Amino acid sequence: MYAKTCLIFTVNKLTVSKGLRFRRSPRWKVSWLFVFVALACLPFADLSISTYDPWAELGRLFGGLLQPSLVAIEKPFEALLQTLAFAILGVSSGSLIGFGLAQLFHLRLVRIVCASVRAIHELFWALIFLQIFGLHPLTGLLALGLPYAATFAKVYAEILEEGDRRAYDTIRQSAGPTSAFFYARLPDLWQHFVTYTGYRLECGLRSSAVLGFVGLPTLGYYLSTAFLEGAYAEVWALLILFYLVIASLRYWLRPKLLPLYILIAPFIIANDSEISVDNISRFFTQDIVPLPLRNSEGLSGLWQWFTELFLTEALPGIINTLLLTQIALVLTGLIALIWFPLISRLFFERFGRLLGHLFLVIMRSTPEYILAFILLTLWGPSMLPAVIALALHNGAIIAHLMGRYSNTLSLRVDATAGMNRYAYEVVPRIYNQFLAFLFYRWEIIQRETAILGILGITTLGFYIDSAIQDIRLDRAMVLIAITAALNVCIDSLSHYIRSKLRLSIGSQQISAESRR
Amino acid sequence: MTTLLRRLGISLLISLSLISVSTSVFSAPKTLVFSAIPDQNQSQLVQRFGKVADYLTKTLGVPVKYVPVNSYAAAITAFRNNQVQLAWFGGLSGVRARLLVPDSEAIAQGFEDTQFETYFIAHHSTGLKPSDNFPESIAGKSFTFGSKGSTSGRLMPEFYIREHLGKAPDEAFNLVGFSGNHSRTIALVQSGAYQVGATNYKVWEKELAAGKIDTDKVSVIWKTPTYPDYQWTVRGDVDSVWGDGFKARIKQALLDMKDPALLDAFPRSAFVSASNDDYQPILDTAKEIGLID
Amino acid sequence: MLHLVSANASYEDSIALTDITLHIPVGQKLALIGRSGAGKSTLLKLLYDQRPTDIALVPQDYGLVTSLSLFHNVYMGQLGRHPLWYNLLNLIKPLKKPVGEVQSILSVVQLSDKLFEPIGQLSGGQQQRAAIARAIMQNGDILFADEPVSSLDEQQSNLVMKVLCQRFETLVLAMHDIDLALKYCDRIVGLDNGRITIDEPTGSLVRKDLLDIYGE
Repeated sequence: MYAKTCLIFTVNKLTVSKGLRFRRSPRWKVSWLFVFVALACLPFADLSISTYDPWAELGRLFGGLLQPSLVAIEKPFEALLQTLAFAILGVSSGSLIGFGLAQLFHLRLVRIVCASVRAIHELFWALIFLQIFGLHPLTGLLALGLPYAATFAKVYAEILEEGDRRAYDTIRQSAGPTSAFFYARLPDLWQHFVTYTGYRLECGLRSSAVLGFVGLPTLGYYLSTAFLEGAYAEVWALLILFYLVIASLRYWLRPKLLPLYILIAPFIIANDSEISVDNISRFFTQDIVPLPLRNSEGLSGLWQWFTELFLTEALPGIINTLLLTQIALVLTGLIALIWFPLISRLFFERFGRLLGHLFLVIMRSTPEYILAFILLTLWGPSMLPAVIALALHNGAIIAHLMGRYSNTLSLRVDATAGMNRYAYEVVPRIYNQFLAFLFYRWEIIQRETAILGILGITTLGFYIDSAIQDIRLDRAMVLIAITAALNVCIDSLSHYIRSKLRLSIGSQQISAESRR
Repeated sequence: MTTLLRRLGISLLISLSLISVSTSVFSAPKTLVFSAIPDQNQSQLVQRFGKVADYLTKTLGVPVKYVPVNSYAAAITAFRNNQVQLAWFGGLSGVRARLLVPDSEAIAQGFEDTQFETYFIAHHSTGLKPSDNFPESIAGKSFTFGSKGSTSGRLMPEFYIREHLGKAPDEAFNLVGFSGNHSRTIALVQSGAYQVGATNYKVWEKELAAGKIDTDKVSVIWKTPTYPDYQWTVRGDVDSVWGDGFKARIKQALLDMKDPALLDAFPRSAFVSASNDDYQPILDTAKEIGLID
Repeated sequence: MLHLVSANASYEDSIALTDITLHIPVGQKLALIGRSGAGKSTLLKLLYDQRPTDIALVPQDYGLVTSLSLFHNVYMGQLGRHPLWYNLLNLIKPLKKPVGEVQSILSVVQLSDKLFEPIGQLSGGQQQRAAIARAIMQNGDILFADEPVSSLDEQQSNLVMKVLCQRFETLVLAMHDIDLALKYCDRIVGLDNGRITIDEPTGSLVRKDLLDIYGE
């Protein structure tokens, strides 16, 4: 396996003296740069602990864990079915559209559109579509399907690009591009598509549950309600239900059963609300038109409106989003480095690894929102709960990927054990992959700060949520556009750094798993 | 493999068309839909408001259904999009909804809503004591509102904070939060997560009676002057759908609601007549502090 | 010192070694020869498992960490002899004493100008010598090496073989270069299809006979 990491084989023109000076690798320097940036962010972020009596509330919180109960939830299984149905329909329509778009991904326009669609969190799509379609099932379907289609387009295009084209090029002239594609390309790549799509379905389940936070009838709806009311027995029951579904995924989610699920799902998500053309046109012609234009105050009015919005909401939102992202990113990396040995056979025996797996599954399946909520009760309102929640959740995901990657390493039989093994043998070998995973998640972490905004941490998500709560969609749209632009920036910066450091994840399967 | 792909595609197409078909089939008999802002404890909402729906169905002679929503904005949007025709709004959300739906009308309010109050509550560690004057020493503490779109949890407390402290809440306090609803505000101040908070007096009294509040930890330090709050608002076009005089019949049905089991869902002792003009003070206040453009 | 009596080994369903009996006394320089797949590496592994703690090892794939420098890879031979904090410190900032020690070993295998070069940037032959340097750094008496000179040219192969014979008391080398085996070792064990087919002192063997059976 390590042969792969030495793909970087440059012609050696170095002089004698150069080889004799100890030079730290660019990856090491970049890592420290990020650590310093995060440290520099610390004084500007409010990380105070301000609770006085969290114990009573926490006692009730964990008391609920001892006696989980679904009694007070009106329709828990209905909510579960809704969650599954939205996820299955949203992800499969997303994958089909994404597959089509992947064929056009060489077009700049398609790439730009996909990047902007991806840059907006599912929750914001849901908030937008709630305005247009209300509680019609199309809201949830589009909120999931659209960003998923954009992500599928990108990853499918990458899979197509990495694949072997020779057979295709040989027969394309005689067979025509479409037939040639189905005969000479798809069979080779099919497994990659299936693996990635299956992985995304798990993400889709999480997303679908989270959409409940803004009002869709999925698990998140009941979860957030139960949380707000302090009904912790219900909270835990719902969470356990959710873990069980995720953990049992491979037993019931079979490609052969998928068409059946897709046929049943619409009956589950159907409700009797209607789509009104008036609402749609009103949304585009009035709601999102900036107020000064609606009041015909002209361009100067618009400029004043925009500057005011930018200075009072967007700017503080951007600053807090970036602070939170950078601190959480570094902490995520640290946690991943600490946790990955838990599931690595290079460090633990079978039983220990089993516990490690259990721990990581729980940490990564628990939505950040829930973690942040618990920590908010513990420490009071500041950026601290958000940082820790993001880092625990994302750290567990990267730890899982790194742990699995480390299991593919073969050390020489006389390699040392313990910390020496960790520091000299394992981390240097997987550091490339680690950085690649982390940079992939950079943009995702930033997108996730949005959810925490809804909890009251003043990221851009907070101001977007406020604008929506005030039914000021014009302001919400501007803020969403700014968020998307910020995200595209981070995404391309991450891309730049990855290509500069020549970080690639290596095997397609693992790479697929890291790109959400 | 390609057959699988095709099968997936076909089933997806069928199912997407099923969504549109099934949704239109289900909506054949015209149902009056109502909703309520999620201002407090939401458990068993469908059951609680389901009884109200049954009452209205019986009294009005048309099917009436309750749909739950989980944010103030969602209630307003559903009302605006005509997915809900009748709604139990707060003062601010009602004003907003009526601005967005021109012919809509406030028709009834709770007896208590004519003289509603907000309680400022504080954690015992602040040492703040109940007083008749605005507690100016709350400046610099951490403070939580309820929902961003709430009248008693946001609009009115913010108004009095600005009036007495002369500053916007973010400047007046060390930290400002939005708990989400009134029950949560009480829980957060009780746990000390926030030092001070503002909550709906009806919710406070209900939770106090239910024994959920530890008065050694959290207590009321100030009560705002009274203001009009919750009301039933109905869309202007209901008469054209369900026939002339339907709006008046809804109003009458609400005013006639006497069963304590039904009124408990709100919780109010009775409903009395209301009009849009009753809420002019709320609109003015909201404009003054910039919550409505 | 190392003994195998009627040992067998198999991978899943294919048999790798059959009925191997071998005694290796201290001070012997033994070469295992045979075509690819004859069982040399398996036999080496079997012998290694007898006394894993005091054997320096050069595996066929070198077992180097490509993203670390040559210095660190060689230093790894001594990890067990230093406290953890020392090892970690040395990872971040190479310390004077180990740099000196590593440098002196590297000069023996003609790699001293590459001290801090990342292993990934070294050629195959340089990497092989790096693995040998690491084994020397272990400072043991016994060396096990699987094809230790396969990527080296003739001059370097001779150099490395000479160094190995000097530095280690006992050698067990899997090799396919019969000339080098005859030149530097005192005992030849030939493997064919998982069985020992020859086991003689070097002096009694003729190059041509060996080439016929074990040559590549």
